[in-house]
Amino acid sequence: MTRILFADKLDNCLERWRSAGISVIGPVKKSNSSGYSAVTKAAEFDFNLVLPERSIKELFFPQSEPLMRYEIKKQEINTSEFKAPTSERIIFGVRPCDAAGLAIDDPLFGWDYQDEYWFQRRRETVLVTIACTKADDFCMCTSLKLTPDSEKGSDILLRPLENNSGWQVEELTDRGREAFKIIADLLQESQEKAAPTAVVEEKFDLEAALAWLKEPENFESHFWKEISMRCIGCGSCTFLCPTCHCFDIQDEGDTYSGIRRKNWDSCSFALFTMHTSGHNPRSTQSARWRQRIMHKFNYFPGKFNLNSCSGCGRCSRQCPVDMGITETLQELSKLLR
Amino acid sequence: MSIVEQYRTKVKELLSSGQVKMVIGYGAGTTPDRRRPLFMRSPEDADKMLLDNACIANLSGYLVSEGLLSDEKRVAIMLRPEGVRSINILAAESQLKAEQIVIVGFDTAGEELRAIEGSEAKDFCALIDSLKESAPLQAPDPLFERIVQMSPQERFNYWQEEFSKCIKCYACRQSCPMCYCRRCIVDSNQPQWINTSSHTLGNFEWNIVRAFHLAGRCVACGNCDRSCPVNIPLRFINRRMGMEVLEVFDHFPGMSESQEPVLASFKKDDPETFIL
Repeated sequence: MTRILFADKLDNCLERWRSAGISVIGPVKKSNSSGYSAVTKAAEFDFNLVLPERSIKELFFPQSEPLMRYEIKKQEINTSEFKAPTSERIIFGVRPCDAAGLAIDDPLFGWDYQDEYWFQRRRETVLVTIACTKADDFCMCTSLKLTPDSEKGSDILLRPLENNSGWQVEELTDRGREAFKIIADLLQESQEKAAPTAVVEEKFDLEAALAWLKEPENFESHFWKEISMRCIGCGSCTFLCPTCHCFDIQDEGDTYSGIRRKNWDSCSFALFTMHTSGHNPRSTQSARWRQRIMHKFNYFPGKFNLNSCSGCGRCSRQCPVDMGITETLQELSKLLR
Repeated sequence: MSIVEQYRTKVKELLSSGQVKMVIGYGAGTTPDRRRPLFMRSPEDADKMLLDNACIANLSGYLVSEGLLSDEKRVAIMLRPEGVRSINILAAESQLKAEQIVIVGFDTAGEELRAIEGSEAKDFCALIDSLKESAPLQAPDPLFERIVQMSPQERFNYWQEEFSKCIKCYACRQSCPMCYCRRCIVDSNQPQWINTSSHTLGNFEWNIVRAFHLAGRCVACGNCDRSCPVNIPLRFINRRMGMEVLEVFDHFPGMSESQEPVLASFKKDDPETFIL
């Protein structure tokens, strides 16, 4: 016997959580674009999406976040800090790769200082993940040693039932148990079987690719130029990526008053490493693409013992010129060391 | 011989005879319906070349990136008619010399693939003239019609919602052959003219700046629209600006390499009645 959450109880669950002061967010498609957005009725969820187009990252690391307001007067300077908004929330219907992405970024945001904007939201969020029963040509979690029902980063793991009428419930953390205590009487014991998880074929030999990247002489390899010839240098892959975390601090306003903001930035942009002098150490697109791959699969593992990729495949799925991590690591794992 | 085979042979000839140093075309993508840009440098590369109705992207932007043409050697490129117009605009705006570009022209109507005669931009003038004639009769789009019918307030709300999705990845800019500025105004940060933030104001600023900069220069290839990862219908903005420019100045961009840019040129005898 397993505990089951039937889909027709979902509206009751939303009501319970709302009464407990918890807001609910989930996969939603609106204005022809999908992402994780606030949900008030169960009908608003779109559980049929293989993966929302926008990743979960923006709910923890918004694309633009105010940090501080400043005001300069004749005799005084006033500043006031913005704090991350506090609100208990449940994200219901997270994909395993998105949950894993957050876990990958935790050590980064807690490395030399604790980024409270990130961790405040992490502490106040329960991630209810739904195992994948569908995948598309771009999914690659298995290549990153994750699975379509990976528990990494999740508080609750739901497995869709064969007849699609609900989900088997697996509580993974105390935080998850707390949130599901509120709806405990809405769950039912049942023998219903879970649907098989999606089959995601392994697309590249990760170990071979990592070993190649570690060789210092490969930094100057002609491979980088060849593989990135068609890269147009937009930030689509980095901004949709659940683990890309680079940001820029910008003051908006004038000399006398304004707001300091933390905005997403991308290593794909020429401006990213531009010096004040005009010199740019990464002056070509191939150097910028190399940086993205090296950061994810060489520098990040070197520092945190983790690859900065959870295999969601958004970089390839939405690339305007059909590039992405999959192709690069496929090609790279074939190269002789 | 099928058109694809004819073109493969042509590409091989161009490369083996040394007439061009590279041919830019299309190859297979990750999925059966995807095509990706292919840079062919040796005759054997032509075997990987594909040409069919899935070859939609306008590839002309690659010509003006990272000094490809700086060695004065010729480059061949596969283009639809709107891509040829892009070449004319780039030439008119002094970004390339039209004679350095060998054009392998094609077009598709539904499933059917059609070869277009000619090898330099000037060979396509008659074809582009006919496009100008049919421009106002473009296939109607229900959403476009609906936006045109909206009141200014409704239209503002419509675009506000669409722009709220913008993540400022600049895929629209990077995929656009006309966005070749060495330093885009949004990247000019001493001072920062345009907010980099992706809030409502910042997103409006960016998209309006781009709309104005493309007025009279856009060939409606649709690269921006297809590249947008959050599916903002950008084609409508540029199409509306294009209609305006056609109506007011009788200007259809990309007719020839000597066509003066409509908003970047002036005539001494201009009556200038619009200046107060």
